[in-house]
Amino acid sequence: MRSTFLSALGATAFATLLGTGAQAATICFAFQDLETEFWVAGHKAITTTLTEAGHTVIERNANEDANRQLEQVNDCIAQGVDGIIIIPQDGESAVTIVQTAQDNDVPIAVFNRPPSDLSKGIVVVADNATIAEQAVDFVAQEAMARITDRPIQPLIIVGDLGDPNAVGRKDGFYAALQKYGDKFATPIEVASEWDAATALANLEAAVTANPNIDLIFTSSDFLFPTIRSVLEPRGKWVPRDQEGHVLMAGLDGDATACQLIKDGFVDATGVQDLYFEAESAMNAILAAIEAGETQPNQVIEDPGFALTSANLGEREMDMWGCVLLSEGFLNN
Amino acid sequence: MTSTQGALDVATRMGAVLMLVAIVLVFGVLTPGFLAPDSLANTVKQSSFIGIAAVGMVFVLLTAGIDLSVGSVMFLGSLVAGLVMRDAGAGVGLALLACLATGAILGAINAVLIVGLRVIPFIVTLSTLFLYRGFGTWLTESRQLDFPDEVRSFGLASVGGIPVPILIFAAVALLAHVILRHTAFGRHVYAFGNDPLAAAKAGLPVRRIQATVYVVSGTLAALAGFVLISQIGRLDAGFGEGREFDVIAAAVLGGASLFGGIGGAGSAVLGALTIQAVKAGLVFSGVNLYLQPLLQGAVILLAVFLDGLREARLRSLRRRVIRPRTA
Repeated sequence: MRSTFLSALGATAFATLLGTGAQAATICFAFQDLETEFWVAGHKAITTTLTEAGHTVIERNANEDANRQLEQVNDCIAQGVDGIIIIPQDGESAVTIVQTAQDNDVPIAVFNRPPSDLSKGIVVVADNATIAEQAVDFVAQEAMARITDRPIQPLIIVGDLGDPNAVGRKDGFYAALQKYGDKFATPIEVASEWDAATALANLEAAVTANPNIDLIFTSSDFLFPTIRSVLEPRGKWVPRDQEGHVLMAGLDGDATACQLIKDGFVDATGVQDLYFEAESAMNAILAAIEAGETQPNQVIEDPGFALTSANLGEREMDMWGCVLLSEGFLNN
Repeated sequence: MTSTQGALDVATRMGAVLMLVAIVLVFGVLTPGFLAPDSLANTVKQSSFIGIAAVGMVFVLLTAGIDLSVGSVMFLGSLVAGLVMRDAGAGVGLALLACLATGAILGAINAVLIVGLRVIPFIVTLSTLFLYRGFGTWLTESRQLDFPDEVRSFGLASVGGIPVPILIFAAVALLAHVILRHTAFGRHVYAFGNDPLAAAKAGLPVRRIQATVYVVSGTLAALAGFVLISQIGRLDAGFGEGREFDVIAAAVLGGASLFGGIGGAGSAVLGALTIQAVKAGLVFSGVNLYLQPLLQGAVILLAVFLDGLREARLRSLRRRVIRPRTA
């Protein structure tokens, strides 16, 4: 894993800083849960790399409980950790946790899920709106090339509306379609609350109510199996070169999405550069510890990109999910 | 009795049914497609897994107990089924049996702690909620588990045009109805729920009755998880999380009392259908996503409020009248 990770990083300076340049530090890594491939891969990248570089990692899993995460961070501070990396439960609780750490002069970095106030702490965040817009733009253009005689019917599966990432992805979806005016009908919105069962029930109702959906955007790749369960019995789960294909895009860049793009069922996915984000969070927190900076404030943005059926050949291995797929992730 | 009083009495007795009919009709008027057979069948299908677990919950509620671990049992039961298929090459039938056995064992653990150690059900099942999920998360290391296509074929299959999840839900509800209304065990459950001390004095095996309902709840929660996973095909770390609230809400909404002794299998069916009808209706009507949770909460609150009125009315009807009212 480490060799793959480091090769994916392609950053000599990173290895130097982690391996030899910095003193061994104790880092508290508090995450909200590991319910999707993205979080599992991010967790592994951070813990493995820090541990192998000689740092001590104290892991805390809040099991999706924001209050528990605050207690866990307080516990880490009481133990005298040198720095904290968190994956928060939501944007609001992240603000409180960052403030708590800074009040106690412990540098803190927030990984991937941004606080609602970006001015405090080291915040590593994907530009969800732009990444979503890129992925949706690709399928929108494909749809316009295929359907010319009527408005195209899009559908978006929205994540938990308390999660800024979900809101950013929704905004990106609308930004992509607004460029094409009345070529698209009013999008159908389906709530998922980041839960497969909720998504299944709501999507099934939405597709029953509107059988002629042309384009689906899911705010997270982990819902592709759920989409399949709804479309397959209706004969709509077919690859892109066959009649009846529903254009499909997602966001995350996980191994399942990579496989489905290769198989032709999915057309595009917005990719968060997991390895860039993990590297940035670790680099920034270790640099702050090294410099004795207790309240570092910095926003590091992951521009991301869209992996599509058109650029799969060139950019496949830039996507973390395809790297995991090549390592046999889905077979394990 | 006047005709108005008579109508009121019917309304109070059939409150949950009338509520469901009203919800279906309102959404049917707003979006006529909601009343299409496909749409109604879909609503019943999507309510099936909550309904199955709610049937088990009704057994527990009838004894004035509660089982907060059902969501975690759904997760762990389905996980064991998946592992049996993946590592032992078992077919769907064997996997389902392993799932049910897991649910029964987890329910039995709850039962031992509640009946054997005399710890209150809320505390025991709150603890096992975390314990069972933690165990499952440890087993999977938070990795997803993909089920073979034959499981999805099972979940997406139909018999005589009726989806398998609906058939399982109907069979479970019917069996539970027969057990509760037409067997000695069912009568014992009601007797225990109405007055545990009186039931014990009457010589009923109260400890066995109380233990059995938790085994039933665990088994049906596991079955509910299997019905759901057979439709999704992938188990992730959040599977079943928070479902205990939907399950309890369904049972109570359908007319089961949190204080024991009142309810039946029909309560679970009605409650699960009502909750799913509201959710599906909001999707059909294209209601803004920010408003959907508000409206769902409002409808459930209204249903509970009307249920409160119904309870009060029924209590007044049951009251002994020494001197009959005169017109």
